[in-house]
Amino acid sequence: MSLVQGAHQETSQPAKVRAVLLAWPEFNKPAVWLVAVILLIMPFIANGFFLIEIFATTLILGTVALSLMFLAGYGGMVSLMQLTVAGFAAYMVAVFGMSANTNISLGWPWWLATPMALILATAFGTLGGALAVRTEGIYTIMITLAIGAAFYYFTNQNWAIFGGHTGINTIATPRFWGIDWRSDIPFYYVTLGVAAFCYFAVQYVSRAPFGLALQGVRDNPRRMAALGFNVNAHRVAAYAFAAFIAALGGVLQVWNYRQISPGSVSVGACIDILIIAVVGGITRPVGPFIGAFIFVILRTFALDLLVKFGLDGNRFRLLIGLGFLAIVFWSSDGVIGLWERWRRGAAAADKRAGGGHGHG
Amino acid sequence: MDNAAPRFSAVGAGAALELRGVTRLFGALAALTDVTITVRPGERRAVLGSNGAGKTTLFNCVTGDFPPSSGTIRFFGEDITDFPPYERIRRGLRRTYQISALFPGLTVRDNVYLACRGVSRGRFSPLRPGANDALMHATEALIQAVHLTSVREQRVAELAHGQQRQLEIALALAGAPRFILFDEPAAGLSPTERRELIDILTSLPAHIGYIIIEHDMDVALRVVESVTMMHNGRVFKEGLPHEIEADPEVQELYLGAGHE
Amino acid sequence: MTRFIERHPAWALILLIAVAVLLWLILAVWPPGLEEAIGRKRVFLNALFNGITLGSLYFLVASGFTLIFGLMRNVNLAHGSLYLFGGYVGYAISAWTGSWILGFIIAFVAVALVGIALQIIVFRRMEGQDLRQTMVTIGLSIVFADLMLWAFGGDFYQIQTPNWLVGPIELPLVTAVRSSGEAVYLRYPLVRLVILVAAIVIGIAMWLALNRTRVGMMVRAGVDDRDMLAATGVPIQLVFVAVFALGAGLAGIAGVVGGTFQSLSPGEDTRFLLASLVVVIVGGMGSIPGAALGAVIIGLAEQLGSVYIPTYAIVVTFLIMVLVLALRPQGLLARR
Repeated sequence: MSLVQGAHQETSQPAKVRAVLLAWPEFNKPAVWLVAVILLIMPFIANGFFLIEIFATTLILGTVALSLMFLAGYGGMVSLMQLTVAGFAAYMVAVFGMSANTNISLGWPWWLATPMALILATAFGTLGGALAVRTEGIYTIMITLAIGAAFYYFTNQNWAIFGGHTGINTIATPRFWGIDWRSDIPFYYVTLGVAAFCYFAVQYVSRAPFGLALQGVRDNPRRMAALGFNVNAHRVAAYAFAAFIAALGGVLQVWNYRQISPGSVSVGACIDILIIAVVGGITRPVGPFIGAFIFVILRTFALDLLVKFGLDGNRFRLLIGLGFLAIVFWSSDGVIGLWERWRRGAAAADKRAGGGHGHG
Repeated sequence: MDNAAPRFSAVGAGAALELRGVTRLFGALAALTDVTITVRPGERRAVLGSNGAGKTTLFNCVTGDFPPSSGTIRFFGEDITDFPPYERIRRGLRRTYQISALFPGLTVRDNVYLACRGVSRGRFSPLRPGANDALMHATEALIQAVHLTSVREQRVAELAHGQQRQLEIALALAGAPRFILFDEPAAGLSPTERRELIDILTSLPAHIGYIIIEHDMDVALRVVESVTMMHNGRVFKEGLPHEIEADPEVQELYLGAGHE
Repeated sequence: MTRFIERHPAWALILLIAVAVLLWLILAVWPPGLEEAIGRKRVFLNALFNGITLGSLYFLVASGFTLIFGLMRNVNLAHGSLYLFGGYVGYAISAWTGSWILGFIIAFVAVALVGIALQIIVFRRMEGQDLRQTMVTIGLSIVFADLMLWAFGGDFYQIQTPNWLVGPIELPLVTAVRSSGEAVYLRYPLVRLVILVAAIVIGIAMWLALNRTRVGMMVRAGVDDRDMLAATGVPIQLVFVAVFALGAGLAGIAGVVGGTFQSLSPGEDTRFLLASLVVVIVGGMGSIPGAALGAVIIGLAEQLGSVYIPTYAIVVTFLIMVLVLALRPQGLLARR
């Protein structure tokens, strides 16, 4: 005990820096700084199409998939309704804000409509989570998928609020300080800011009591109860946290496309989010963004690529499905897992070549 | 060490743990039948019996992992029969598991930290603990107490069996335990590790009582002052260690047949 | 049954009254006041029968799903694809040979073979990893959907009802009484009734097979405790393959039924997967009687809902699911 305290009294400036680096191991890697810089100067590299269709879209899908990664990776709950929560937020932005469907939209300014949408979507995701935690494990997938599907069919049938199968169009986006925040470069920075915020929030919470306890719930819920934790309350809180992140993604999405319709919350789209998270890797927050990047690249260029190889350009879904199957078969941790396995393999080969010095 | 302790002081009663007519059915099968046991505060007791005698089911009923089908359970005078497990733990009850129930994906420190956090406030805190956090100190102290300091940064999945058993005990000692249920803590330990276990048990503060399920009579009888013998889900005999050891019926039932 | 009444006397009473009211609604000639309030009796009876026959279709799909899930803990999210594949096979065969029955047989065999292949090639490799298996079924459902879109395009297909089943028959149920005092009887499509009877027969056969045969006992033992099944020395892999084949084959049959009742097109796979999910969540996961009960409830809710509250039919279905999850999360007839 005295030893421990002694160590703390010595805490000096470099030690503090070390402590920060220990808490945020990511900051210790040059590759991370490189990626951060590239993302920041992206508008000077890429033109509008790449900036929005590739990078902003990647960040938005990555944010929604991040909410699934948080639930699945830390909480062991594979929720297929995260896109539904995002879609709900998007619909709420359209309903409370301004759009061409004046009989539906209430016409609130964006700074009122957006928080409202975030609150309602978080409440929606939390309620869905409260239902899903009534059962455990593999049932979660079934229940959340059923919730997502019910929402999809409901938006199709409901004209009063959700605008039926045509949805809501020409939704107004924020414009203040003389900037149109939906024009390419500002919007890119908005998505980058939100995505970075969510990424660091998840990373941070994963080492905080709430996140640690969630990982405990994932590993052994019964023991967590025997340590004094209310396991279901923790799970529901995790759904709430994830719902907020998904809702942020949903708000960005509706600003991006300026319209929302049932097609955006279809069952296929819900499953796409799972694919993105699983392909990227579900154990770390960076995974969903990698997955989203791969997904967006494939979706954008698969057609040309397939045609170039003399195949039918419409077989994009087949490609996605096969790629997903391959990842599930060969890596339990998506492409990050594959990458790490390859690096470990290379390191082991180095070690053998170098005569096996070092420990372990 | 723990800020929850004052909450319990209002409860004044003779027994630490009192079971009255506890019965637990699994379908038509009665795992426990009409079990009545009273344990004084600070008392240390062994529960013996062959496999299927209902010992672990007894623990599960006390901690609330599965509630009893009938009967009442009082903990320091308070009726906890219908409490969820976490409420019982927050009142000072602890348990260990026969098969280590740890968090294999987390480090030793995180495991112990969770145990400390579980019985204090801030379970939902989204803020990371600072280096001077009181619970972090408690965590370090506990790790030291069970001799795991050298492996505290390792993931639990990578620990040796004996170390996992030690960690299992550390989790039960977190916070301010008043009564602990040890489910075969010596299972699979080497003779040296058994001696360490006996050390840890005998050096517990005197106010902490416990019930221990243990097949190894050498361990069990050295760390308890009373013994309850169970058979087919019922209490079969109660007494002092040497009485039970000498009892011919017990010898026939347990020492002769069911010993593993 | 008697135990249920003893345990939940209030629920038993409510159920009894509900059944009595339902019987009265079906058998009695409706007084004019009632017809004014909720519409013609013929509409009600049609919705009721449509609901029950739709339920029988849902049962065919969901029973295979729940059977596979119950034994192998495999949430087969490609089950909808098997349904649609069975439908397309049935369509192709019946269009080619002109035989509806042959369509059924070939569809059953073809889809059962796909099921066997899946079990042997894919799922056996990842036994016990239920999350990974489920992921694989998601991937498969995407691949299958695209392959079927490739082969059959986006058109709607309908399987021709055979001549001997075309047309309605008159049922001994009075829908109204003419002013002349002549009773009007309900006329209902024969093919739907035949399907309903077939589903009941299949359901009872499955129940008997599971409860009265040695293999069935083994499967049921496996549902309760897989380790026990393995410990008894049963060729568990063979049982798994057989169950997967049967479950998939049932989905194939259901595809032919669905193709006759309704139509086949891309997207139907998802629709029937979701119907199975909801049916199984409501009825109880892994339980055949549960699937039957859940299927009838969901079928009725959809049809009665679409007649009486058309905008919110889907909400009714969803509310039923929510209610069951809130009150009895394991499902109505599941034991756990």
